[in-house]
Amino acid sequence: MRRADLVAGMLLLAVAAVYFHQSLFIARGFADRLGPAFVPRLLAGALAVLALALLVRAVGGRSEATPPPEARTGLLVVVLALLVGYALLMPKVGFLWATPVLLAAVLLALGVREPLPIALTAVGVTAALYGVFGRLLGVLLPGTPGRL
Amino acid sequence: MLERFALGAQVALHPQALLMTLLGVAWGILGGALPGISGSIAMALLLPFTFGMDPAVALMMLAGVYVGAMYGGSITAILVSTPGTPGSAITVVDGYALHQKGESGKALGVSLVTGTVGGIAGVAILVAFAVPLSRVALAFGPPEYFAFGVFGLALISSFVGRDLVKGAISAILGLMLATVGTDPFTGTPRFTFGSVDLVGGVAAAAGMIGLFAVSEIFYQIAEGVDWERIRGRYTTKLPSLVELWRLRVATFIGIVFGTIEGLLPGGGGAIASFIAYNEAKRWSKHPEEFGRGSLEGVAAPETANNVVTATALIPLLTFGIPGSNSAAILLAGMMLHGLQPGPALFDRTPHVVYGLFVGLLVANLFMLVLGLLALRPSIALVNVRRPFLLSAILGLVLVGAYSINNSMVEVWIVLLTGVVGYLMRRYGYNVLAMVLGFVLGFMVEANLRRSLLISLGDPWVFFTRPISALLLALAVLTFAWPIVRRVREDRRGVPKLAPELTHRAAR
Repeated sequence: MRRADLVAGMLLLAVAAVYFHQSLFIARGFADRLGPAFVPRLLAGALAVLALALLVRAVGGRSEATPPPEARTGLLVVVLALLVGYALLMPKVGFLWATPVLLAAVLLALGVREPLPIALTAVGVTAALYGVFGRLLGVLLPGTPGRL
Repeated sequence: MLERFALGAQVALHPQALLMTLLGVAWGILGGALPGISGSIAMALLLPFTFGMDPAVALMMLAGVYVGAMYGGSITAILVSTPGTPGSAITVVDGYALHQKGESGKALGVSLVTGTVGGIAGVAILVAFAVPLSRVALAFGPPEYFAFGVFGLALISSFVGRDLVKGAISAILGLMLATVGTDPFTGTPRFTFGSVDLVGGVAAAAGMIGLFAVSEIFYQIAEGVDWERIRGRYTTKLPSLVELWRLRVATFIGIVFGTIEGLLPGGGGAIASFIAYNEAKRWSKHPEEFGRGSLEGVAAPETANNVVTATALIPLLTFGIPGSNSAAILLAGMMLHGLQPGPALFDRTPHVVYGLFVGLLVANLFMLVLGLLALRPSIALVNVRRPFLLSAILGLVLVGAYSINNSMVEVWIVLLTGVVGYLMRRYGYNVLAMVLGFVLGFMVEANLRRSLLISLGDPWVFFTRPISALLLALAVLTFAWPIVRRVREDRRGVPKLAPELTHRAAR
């Protein structure tokens, strides 16, 4: 956990800095004395202090000793990449094409190898989602005709 | 008062409302049965469906999910010794022991009936507390609301989870997420990075789905979470009245601790069920049976977690401070429909509040019936192979996020908050504190600035008003207490309280 705390502390310091920097661009309000940038700057300061506390603790060796359990991080990264690809491409190729491909790819990534269950799940789940959201609830999903 | 209940009954007994509550309870039982899908996650997944609904119906449906999930959680707890929800974690001990003795049906029946009793008692307690407390809340001005918001955040970030610094970081991150969008006071856009889509802020529903549901899916993928399949056929056996009478003490204990946990911000039934179990053992005539298949050991926690489904609404409805994950989602549901919880809610939209009261009663009765019917579908769902379940839920999450505003922005928000939520879980941060900061941020900031506007910039306004001063003092105390406790424990060498409990509660 100690290395994780070091990384997190530095990351959070960076978040606080970027957030503070962004708060400099908030237009001045006239309704109250504190203005719209006051609370964000307070939060940026608080986060910086807490991130420093995390760092000091990690450097001083007072972080929790137990490391988090083993994780299949590589697998998660693959699934995340698939999801990001889906978010980028789905508006272009359309919901009804992109979704079954994503579902099949996720199943493959998670180790399923039987073609028939993969195909049935990919098509079946997409059809069910389209039926409920696209038809019943009238959501305009990209590339679909929507509710008549 | 009576008129308002009549109004509530009119709303809750409308055929559409009944149907949605029924669907909500069924969804809750199925979701609750799935390990990892707690009541709050099942609710978050359902949020996008409720947009087009009447607000009262939407809230009833969401509350129905919460009620159903508490029973659903005990199905897997009893049959495969894996709690479906944190509230059923302790049910595993005696529920699974009963299952091994071949009394699975009896254990399920006791969980169902005592859960219903607890749920209905919870509604009575909710009404008894919420209505008078909403009068107290009328005396609250901006400084009190600010102080209460800070107190709520301090409580969640210090008591849930183990690490004070990480808890506070989590709450601050949530508050930061809430500052994206239009400033609550002047209408100035903040942190929108020039994007028109972010002027309205981060949609509460998207943040909830990401932090609760998507992070859990990522967690299950990365940590390889799995559980046993349920083999064999089971039917629920309802306990006889004589058997129920023997469980009266355990049930009563469940009601008491469910009420206490509901009033205090906590883990949505997990802590109440643990304490109720221990107390039921202490007061039992047969404490030696606990751990070897005691029906009281099932009744006490399962009563307690269902009581919480109603009593957790007390701080939410009266003060607008959610005390649990599920209450936070109900708050998001209210905000989606432009409802601001608090005393005004009781006067301006009594049909929503009293409709919810009656709707909760209805949901508990539905649970009793559905609990008998939904056992087989639940088992079938639990037995679906992991990858198929995960990919289907991912599909649901993506479409649900898109449907919030018919735009991809929410899809990106859900993915991003999902990653953040996963990392927070993995490294011991406090997701609930972040969610609470996120949903309360707007209210806390608006009331801070409003207070200082009224006091002409004098910060003493928070300390000269007694209620506000008291709440702020309590906030400091709740934050200092864990530090004091740790120092004392270190000195005495007391072993830390079961970390598994606090971990589960935080999820």
